[in-house]
Amino acid sequence: MSDRIAFESTKKQAIETARTRLLVGGSLMAAAFFVVGVRLFDLAVFNENEDLRRAASREIARPTPMARADIVDRNGVLLATSLKTASLFADPRKIADPADTAHRLIEILPDLSEEVVAARLGSGKSFVWLRRNLTPRQQFEVNRLGIPGLEFEKEERRVYPHGRLAGHIVGFTNVDNVGLSGIEKSMDAAIAGAKTPLRLSIDIRVQQILRQELAGQIEKFKAIGGGGIVLDVESGEVVAMVSLPDFDPNAAGQAGADTRFNRMTLGVYELGSVFKIFNHAIALETGVATFASRYDATKPIRVARFTISDYHPKKSWLTVPEIFQHSSNIGSAKIALDIGSDDQRKYLGHLGLLRRTSIELPEQGLPMYPARWREINTMTISFGHGIAVSPLHLTSAVAAVVNGGILRPATLVEHDAKTTDGVQVFSAQTSDRMRRLLRLVVETGTGRNADAKGYLVGGKTGTAEKQVNGSYKRNALISSFVGVYPITAPRFVVFAMLDEPKGIKESYGYATGGWTAAPVVQGVVARMAPLFGIAPLDETAPDIRHAININAQPAIGNRSDAVN
Amino acid sequence: MARLSGTGSAKLTFRQKLLHLNWEFVLLIVLTASIGFAMLFSAANGNFDPWASRQFMRFAVGILLMLAVAMTDIRIWLRAAYPVYGVCLALLAAVELMGSIGMGAQRWLDLGFFQLQPSEVMKVAVVLALARYFHGLDSEDAGRLTNLAIPLLLVAAPMALVLRQPDLGTAGVVAMVGVTMFWIGGARLWQFATVAVAAAAAVPVGWQFLHSYQKQRIFTFLNPESDPLGSGYHILQSKIALGSGGLFGKGFLEGTQSHLNFLPEKQTDFIFTMLAEEFGLVGGVGLIALYGVLIAYGIYIAFRARSHFARLLAMGLTVNFFLYVFINIAMVMGILPVVGVPLPLISYGGTAMLTVLIGFGLIMSCWLHRDTYINKRGGAA
Repeated sequence: MSDRIAFESTKKQAIETARTRLLVGGSLMAAAFFVVGVRLFDLAVFNENEDLRRAASREIARPTPMARADIVDRNGVLLATSLKTASLFADPRKIADPADTAHRLIEILPDLSEEVVAARLGSGKSFVWLRRNLTPRQQFEVNRLGIPGLEFEKEERRVYPHGRLAGHIVGFTNVDNVGLSGIEKSMDAAIAGAKTPLRLSIDIRVQQILRQELAGQIEKFKAIGGGGIVLDVESGEVVAMVSLPDFDPNAAGQAGADTRFNRMTLGVYELGSVFKIFNHAIALETGVATFASRYDATKPIRVARFTISDYHPKKSWLTVPEIFQHSSNIGSAKIALDIGSDDQRKYLGHLGLLRRTSIELPEQGLPMYPARWREINTMTISFGHGIAVSPLHLTSAVAAVVNGGILRPATLVEHDAKTTDGVQVFSAQTSDRMRRLLRLVVETGTGRNADAKGYLVGGKTGTAEKQVNGSYKRNALISSFVGVYPITAPRFVVFAMLDEPKGIKESYGYATGGWTAAPVVQGVVARMAPLFGIAPLDETAPDIRHAININAQPAIGNRSDAVN
Repeated sequence: MARLSGTGSAKLTFRQKLLHLNWEFVLLIVLTASIGFAMLFSAANGNFDPWASRQFMRFAVGILLMLAVAMTDIRIWLRAAYPVYGVCLALLAAVELMGSIGMGAQRWLDLGFFQLQPSEVMKVAVVLALARYFHGLDSEDAGRLTNLAIPLLLVAAPMALVLRQPDLGTAGVVAMVGVTMFWIGGARLWQFATVAVAAAAAVPVGWQFLHSYQKQRIFTFLNPESDPLGSGYHILQSKIALGSGGLFGKGFLEGTQSHLNFLPEKQTDFIFTMLAEEFGLVGGVGLIALYGVLIAYGIYIAFRARSHFARLLAMGLTVNFFLYVFINIAMVMGILPVVGVPLPLISYGGTAMLTVLIGFGLIMSCWLHRDTYINKRGGAA
């Protein structure tokens, strides 16, 4: 009986518990509905619509964010940009039939190997790449296969609309968008983080002109390569820089190492007579010689086992301008002896010829010069032998000679000229005198082929034998020309170089800088000057004749920098 | 309730049963469904075709089915509980199997006249099976761990199959319904606490098993404005629509977000948004209140039931209904992540409508047989 009562009471208690729990459950549900009701009230009354709408429309108006900023030239022309692409990968664990899947993928992506794809799909791993950077059409086709386990990763691909034209400058990235060469490498962090395009100093139009002129001469003289630079003498900005043969950064992987080699910055060469520019400038600056000084160039100089002789022997005493005009090695060596090793080395150092350049490229060659600077070295360096620098070194130093004597760091990034600090290497007077000498070479000397009519080009030829395994090869030349224009108030230095040009009938068998490289400079100057609003001048006008007259000593006129 | 006195006897004639049915409950259901027809009419820009007409046909069939279920003796349902569960589990497994052989993820069986989603029916089957199980236990026994193994398995098996599909929303509902059944069934408080702690600990582990689209939904839920044109689109447009309705709405057939097709899935999962845009806060709260009354009625029936089975069954099905409503509305408001749960009686869709009506039929059966004593094996006293 008592059991029965106990049973009844526990049963009653169980029902009570269950009913209590029912009420608890009901309360929870009521609370949930209350929350929903409050939220509805919140949305309907405290209308946050405007914020939401703005969020939606802002998204539409905002440009697509990319992981890497664009690279543009000085006029905003696109040199490098990023495209959104999709990369195909697979989860092989989900692939039911690797062979069939591979077969169907090959029909869409014929550049893949069926065996390789089938092997990857059958590997049993959880992740395998199949192909990076599909076109939208390919992605669509793969999606249409509807095979589970094939998936896409959103990626960005670097694209270089101008291809090989600026390949050495812009450089390229790897498949993971990490810069591997050129600006892409040296400024990788800045590009990866930036929201605005990186504006370079180069002008793609001038780049095109320079490349075309160079390619024509390389073809004509059967050279193995060449290169050129156009540099703004006031700002140090590189306006164009070409190295041939070149490569397409859109397919950098297929490019050979020789095409990726940038002769203008990574290559260092004995450039020959163009170095006489510095030799004369140092002599005039230090006062060891004037335009009236004369040197004996009647016979070659013999020092130990070396003989220094002239290509075009005059076999007479020559004035300083004549030594420059006829590119006399003997005269230059004798001037260098008067300058002395210490001063020569000091000034070459000031011109940045003994250290790394400031250019924003990772591909840079270091100058090579003698560890012990003996007298014979001093003599050969005066005409550009026994010292090897990159063409950019030379171009930058020539700019310093002609722009009033100030060396400004060469750069590939556009900037305001006034913000760069230069180093005064030569006086304005020395600079003025050098301009007259440079014009003399083009008017009446070895550089006549560079004379772009009306643009007052000044310049100097250089023809150096290439050193192969320690000895000079007579028929393997580095022929170059460095030009400056307009010589009365220089704006640009234009350098051109050909690697191993061969003499042709038209040049009477010569492959010297005057025959091969000077025409490049002539063509570039004539074609680029209008782009920069430089009008041709009347070369016979009295004020111009006066400005370039060798015998007007000392320089008189309204040119402020000529008065010292 | 005087007219219902005397229904405690096991035998009721058909006429008596028909008379004693809680018709006011039926009226509430018809009222709610009618709001659904109106909204589907509006979703089709003022046409009965293609949604409203078909929904009406289904509802007509469903309501007859509901009445039939209600009038069936509750002990028949008790005895049928395990077989029904077994059939549903088999169907679910069949879908899973066919899905993996055939055409990717498929959640329904094509029965010709309509497509059956076994996972929906499974929810009712789980409630039935658990109600039967706990009915057979004494209250002290219900707390023993050894006795909880079988009901845990009853919940875990369909959950595992649904998760494989993968359908997180349905799996969550099954889990919540399971928890309710354990709760009413008499499991101990400390057992719930233990499970809660374990579940919290399992979250970081489970995260790794989620598909990327599921992770994306959760990220989007946390910050829909981060991707307003991509995965955040649904929620953002839904919130705009909810807000633009204001206090009284833009009027029937006048909702711009829905009629200009900014609002996705307006005839199914996002139909509440359309209602709130056209009828405003008043309409939204009104519908929630209507649902609230239905749910309160369900709880009341559970409260009044004499047998443990009826109590469990009524409460389990009421909670199931509640979860549909709550998850859907909370989802369109951005309180919960987007999971594919329809708004019961209103969203366009066959299986959910049928399941909900069968559920209501069972709840009404609990009412009709509230005083019926049922022994442990399902016989009458």
